[in-house]
Amino acid sequence: MDFALIEVEPDVEAFRKEVQEFLDGHLTAELIAEDRRSGNGHDQRFHEALGARGWIMPMWPVDEGGAGLDPLRAKILALELAWRQSAWVSISRLITTTIAIGVRAWGSDALREEILPGVARGSVLMCLGYTEPDSGSDMAAAKTRATQDGDDWIIQGQKMFTTGAQNSHYVWLLARTDPAAPKTQGLTMFLVPLNTHGVEITPIHTLGGERTNTVYFDGAKIGDHYRVGPVGQGWRVVAGALDAEHRMGRIEDRGIGDDANLGTWQGLVHRLTDAGLRWARTAHHPDGSPVVDDPLVRERVARVALDSEVAALLDGPMSKVATATALIRNSADLVELFGPAGTLQAGEDGAVCDGEVEFLHRFAQGTAIYGGSVEIFHNMLAERVLGLPRARMLPPRERS
Amino acid sequence: MEQRMLRNEDFSLDDEHIALRDAFASFFMKECPTSVVRAAEPNGFDAELWDKMMALDVTTMGLPESLGGDGAGLVELVLAAEEYGRALAPVPLVETMVAGRVLAASSTNAEPWLRAQVSGERIITVGLQRAAAFQRQLVPAGAVADAVIALHDDALILVADSPPHRQVANQACAPLAWWAPADDNEVRLVLAEGEDAHRLWTQALLEWKLLTAAALVGLSEALLDRAVEYVRNRHAFGVPIGTFQAVSHPLVDVRIGIEGARRLIWKAAWFATHEPPQARRFGPMAWVHSADVATHAATVCLHVHGGVAFTLESDIQLFFRRAKGWATIAGDPRRELQSLADVLLASDAEVR
Repeated sequence: MDFALIEVEPDVEAFRKEVQEFLDGHLTAELIAEDRRSGNGHDQRFHEALGARGWIMPMWPVDEGGAGLDPLRAKILALELAWRQSAWVSISRLITTTIAIGVRAWGSDALREEILPGVARGSVLMCLGYTEPDSGSDMAAAKTRATQDGDDWIIQGQKMFTTGAQNSHYVWLLARTDPAAPKTQGLTMFLVPLNTHGVEITPIHTLGGERTNTVYFDGAKIGDHYRVGPVGQGWRVVAGALDAEHRMGRIEDRGIGDDANLGTWQGLVHRLTDAGLRWARTAHHPDGSPVVDDPLVRERVARVALDSEVAALLDGPMSKVATATALIRNSADLVELFGPAGTLQAGEDGAVCDGEVEFLHRFAQGTAIYGGSVEIFHNMLAERVLGLPRARMLPPRERS
Repeated sequence: MEQRMLRNEDFSLDDEHIALRDAFASFFMKECPTSVVRAAEPNGFDAELWDKMMALDVTTMGLPESLGGDGAGLVELVLAAEEYGRALAPVPLVETMVAGRVLAASSTNAEPWLRAQVSGERIITVGLQRAAAFQRQLVPAGAVADAVIALHDDALILVADSPPHRQVANQACAPLAWWAPADDNEVRLVLAEGEDAHRLWTQALLEWKLLTAAALVGLSEALLDRAVEYVRNRHAFGVPIGTFQAVSHPLVDVRIGIEGARRLIWKAAWFATHEPPQARRFGPMAWVHSADVATHAATVCLHVHGGVAFTLESDIQLFFRRAKGWATIAGDPRRELQSLADVLLASDAEVR
């Protein structure tokens, strides 16, 4: 057990300085503000600048395009990126690096050669092709078809919430190759180039201000080398990638915390806390009294801080659930605490914390849905942590 | 504004921690099944169990070696307290650990009392509210204690009465008693004055809350283990009820609560030892969260059992009653959020 401040050696301190200077120059407030306006979730110049330093896959060896960072340096990089709100322009980076794990594990040599150096360099981006109009949490119910045609595959169907598709080169596609096989056994994974003829990307705009997409596949033809893993083994292939996305199991215990959390939404709970405290220190009630003296205010900002601390202490799926729950509950509570000015949007006259909490209140709802809904995480924890029998999720006609 | 610190986040236990925790766990498993807990009701004290613990020196582990203890720190004590809570042991372990450490840190005139505590001759407890002559308070272990340590005006005093205080029947079957310092106390010892007195008392409160928080985590996990076992085996509609999400998901939330509370407690205990100012933040967080988690665990774990856990025959009710009882002894747990706000809203606060 150890929570001490890490005394960094001069060379590590120099590395931190290097990271800070790099981010001062490349991750500017304007860049983030621009993304908040567009909801694009990605900035290619920033991304390639990271890649040029090997910081997209920072712990990968240098000869694979990484920077070969040790855990401490990797954590310093992750912390600085999180503190500076890089998440807004990192959606595609986070998704791409997760898929890269699956490609590395299951892709053919040729495919790995085509994809992985570009991932590390920043020239290759990927998006997830899991969800469909008729299947979200029940991912294995995917209907998008891949039909073999000689040495090629023809893709027909539709994927939704393919966030970052507009910036990406490939979609990591879960497709049905054998409709006759039992649900999870008729699936195969593909990496489909998005510039393939017959692929069309259309935007979806969210309540949280983000752009995501629908991707239509209409007879899109791809070579067999874009198949990832054996035919019919798609569920097995995707399980590994999902585990990485869900940070379930095999999390390396480095004793310096699970920095993977930082790339996701924990940073937002801290921002919520900071916003609440900033307001509490300076605001006044309509009657002119400072809110800082009001026990109701004090209790509620303390509660936000407590929830945020708990979310940060936990790892993996527990953290995901605690983070989403804390974001949803506390953003709603802070808006109420701020009163009507809490509903004013960024840039408006008198918007509390420049509309940050107003925004987070909308954004929070999505965090309990995407990347696996909190219900799916509950199922997973019930089975793998509590050891409960698997929930029976059969359609009514199959019940005895 | 906020400083951003690079810290270790290492929650692993070393071999000594694990050995200590396991030793307490096996002691309580052997010596304190729920039949012992039941037999000690309603008084909440089992003298025989207490003697066995005294004989193993477990009550003195938190004292400095120079005073006959093992020099264990708060981290070790919370590990022990979690096992005590898991077993609902009817002994004043937390109060004894805390009082002993206050006496050890006090002026030399406390020494006879410390010796009497170490030898098992006396049980000493702490008053959790500021003492006032006309304002009585419910003191934990007050009904079995020979002496109470409390903050009175600007002095930390030890008061011993000749007649024992009567236990008042309570939901947790805890040995609670009303107490106030009176003029006719036989013994009234000043342990510290002024700033020292406030510092020692604040530290005692922090330690009592952390140890009780750990006990609440142990209690919650004992409940969860029983509930999980039950829903794996109980069948309804042809399947184990644990397959129903209406049953399993609330249990997962209990698990998440326990994990977060335990980690907050460990962090608070570690900071209390190594960076005391940080404990002002983590201490209140650990206390509030553990109290919430225990209430939630007790409610959910009782509920998933259905009517069977609503009976007095079921052991669940033993845990249920203590979950609320222990969390309330120091007053409304949520009031602690006000102290947390003090720390967070101070201008120089380190936000994380």
